Amino acid sequence: MPSLRKDEAGGPPFRRVLVANRGEIAVRIIRACHELGMEAVAVYSDADAAAAHVRLADRAVRLGPAAPTESYLRIEAVVAAAIETGAQAIHPGYGFLAERAAFARAVEEAGLAFVGPPSASIDALGDKLHARRTAAAVGVEAVPGTLRPAPLERPDQVAAIVAEAAEIGFPLLVKAAAGGGGRGMRRVTTPAELPAALVAGSREAASAFGDGSVYLEREISPARHIEVQLLGDVDGRVVALGERDCSLQRRHQKLVEEAPAPGLTVEDRVHLHELAVRVASAAGLRNAATAEFLRSPDGAFYFLEVNTRLQVEHGVTELVTGLDIVREQLFLAAGRPLSPAALEAAARSATPSGHAIEVRLSAEDPARDFAPAPGRVTRWAMPSGPGVRVDTALEAGDRIPADYDNLIAKVMVHAGDRDAAIDRLRRALDEVEIAGIQTTLPFHRFVARDASFRAADLSTGWVGEHWDGPSDFRHAVETAQLAAGLEAMDAAVAAGGASAASVRVAPPATPGGGASADGRWARSGLEAAQDRWPR
Amino acid sequence: MAPVTTRRPSHGPPGDPVRDRVGHATESADPRIGRATESAEPQMPDPRGVRVSLAPGTRVDVPPLVLEPPQIPVAPAPRVAGLGFLAGAPPVRPAAPPAPSPARHVILNGQPATAELIPLDGVRATLARGGPAGTRHRVLILPRSPAHGADHGIVRREVVVGGWRVELEIEPAARAALRERARRGREEIGHSGPAEVHAIIPGVVLSVSVGAGDAVTAGQQLLVVEAMKMQNELRAPRDGTIERVAVGAGTTIEVGDLLLVIS
Repeated sequence: MPSLRKDEAGGPPFRRVLVANRGEIAVRIIRACHELGMEAVAVYSDADAAAAHVRLADRAVRLGPAAPTESYLRIEAVVAAAIETGAQAIHPGYGFLAERAAFARAVEEAGLAFVGPPSASIDALGDKLHARRTAAAVGVEAVPGTLRPAPLERPDQVAAIVAEAAEIGFPLLVKAAAGGGGRGMRRVTTPAELPAALVAGSREAASAFGDGSVYLEREISPARHIEVQLLGDVDGRVVALGERDCSLQRRHQKLVEEAPAPGLTVEDRVHLHELAVRVASAAGLRNAATAEFLRSPDGAFYFLEVNTRLQVEHGVTELVTGLDIVREQLFLAAGRPLSPAALEAAARSATPSGHAIEVRLSAEDPARDFAPAPGRVTRWAMPSGPGVRVDTALEAGDRIPADYDNLIAKVMVHAGDRDAAIDRLRRALDEVEIAGIQTTLPFHRFVARDASFRAADLSTGWVGEHWDGPSDFRHAVETAQLAAGLEAMDAAVAAGGASAASVRVAPPATPGGGASADGRWARSGLEAAQDRWPR
Repeated sequence: MAPVTTRRPSHGPPGDPVRDRVGHATESADPRIGRATESAEPQMPDPRGVRVSLAPGTRVDVPPLVLEPPQIPVAPAPRVAGLGFLAGAPPVRPAAPPAPSPARHVILNGQPATAELIPLDGVRATLARGGPAGTRHRVLILPRSPAHGADHGIVRREVVVGGWRVELEIEPAARAALRERARRGREEIGHSGPAEVHAIIPGVVLSVSVGAGDAVTAGQQLLVVEAMKMQNELRAPRDGTIERVAVGAGTTIEVGDLLLVIS
């Protein structure tokens, strides 16, 4: 879009940008806009009318009721809000509409800039099968599996699918072509389970994504999840800014991410980044995206998929490279070429200095398999100090709506090397104080103290192998019981006007008669203590 | 729930928990009530002991913790009128705050332990356990609004330890022990023959839920007695039929008064 291209160097890419998201990522993007001297327009649902992103923005437009389908997922309403407020660009953040090609297309057709890859790239890469074929065409090895949707509608093909599966090898995964977040995914260990898994996975994918296409992929286990941050400009130039290790996951949701991926040699990095750039270039990628790979124990990288959006964990790459990825995105969306800073970061990507780790604090119960635990936050203190960055949109007194993502804060640390970063993470997490809701903080504190995490013995099965939430919780209960008991006793002592040392055994009660003097004394102390307790 | 144990200083060696004796319905060792109609043993749990239980509905089952001050045997001494000092013993300074020493001795589930809560502000505290070489935990102790229909005397706390949020209920160990004893008493008294139910606390009968001839099952509420502004439910010690009800709503009762007879 030539009209959006600004040739004057140094000026802000836009005058006003609409941020089509909520929570910490909306706040993150609004901050980038303000640093560039641009106005930010927020959109919100009724549940977020007083949310941080609304308070920070220069304008705010209501989209509708709390349900995402009636607010943040309404393409026409978001585009209309941008036009109405005179915004020139829309940043989708992550989640919601970020990877909907239809949204990018609607933005493009409205004459606005979409801060992300073009709709055609989103379309092509959003289909995992298409992405796998793209990778295969440029000689990048994807996880072994099929390249076409399983022909579920053809009962005569069942034998052929089973034969294909046998060739891939068991255990394998049935995955949804339109998938994400583990939905539509089924693990299959024997050929007999395959037909049922295909049908179930397809049905789940159809209801979640409106597309029931499923395919087969070998399960690489143990595997590390390593992804490459990419930037591309309108001229078709794509660069890698470095990789991140996101192996610590539960139910295919990332919990901890770090940059760079530990244990890779410079050659490994050069090779991995080159694979990512090759796939992205072939798909005509622009703006920001992430190519995901699995690394098998023998050190081989297998292409998984490309996420055509800003990632939740982009911050660790920012900390290591010193680059502001959202800022780069905005310039790239305005049609500018890759900035000198981005090119410089890309040139250093195989020899990163420093190390960054992010933990995702979520409103989930890590003693109950990370089940959602929404509620009202009554106490909220986030860490600060050297090398600590916290991205959040929450404050004490805020309610975490059950309608949206459970992510409540990203705590990131940056230090000279991985060991120092882990020490800093432990220190930072010790400063966190949250009450009123259960969060994943105990898990993250465990990670920061765990020897195998420090030894970078990482895999996508790590959480299940190392974390025993119920046991950790039980230990905490015992400590909490003791603390609460001591507090109550100290309160009783204070109320009774005696020091702990004076506490004496109450004497025998007199049958039928009144209590003895000491009994009354003890009793009055207890009563006074009870009166002090809230009822 | 694990069986509740309470320390009885005159029983056994120090630190040896003595299980509550299964009592008859007419027994009491509640120090707040201050009398026992039948108890031959002149001991009772220290009133400052507390029992800390997980709030109902918590995701794991952890037994309650009973915490008591160390039992220091002191010979009974006459009380000096008006002062509350103990003659022959060093005077007690009123309202002296507990000395913050990380090696304070307590009785934890009947066993001697050292544990100290060092307050930092109104909410934050450090729990020091096991003396100077022991462990330290930062804890947040926050008040919880009482749940609907909360019992009197039960304190609710939200304690945060290592990012875990724990909801607890704290009550005097003696009260908890009495409740537990009454419960077990109900469960274990199953003999036939008429049983007289006597008052174990003085107070006023608020309501009577049964009448003569009613069949009752163990644990069923018989009547409610108000004592010390607390409502105490009296429950059937065993299955049977109500032979006679000796009191009515509004009756003032003394310890030992016959309330009703179950056959």
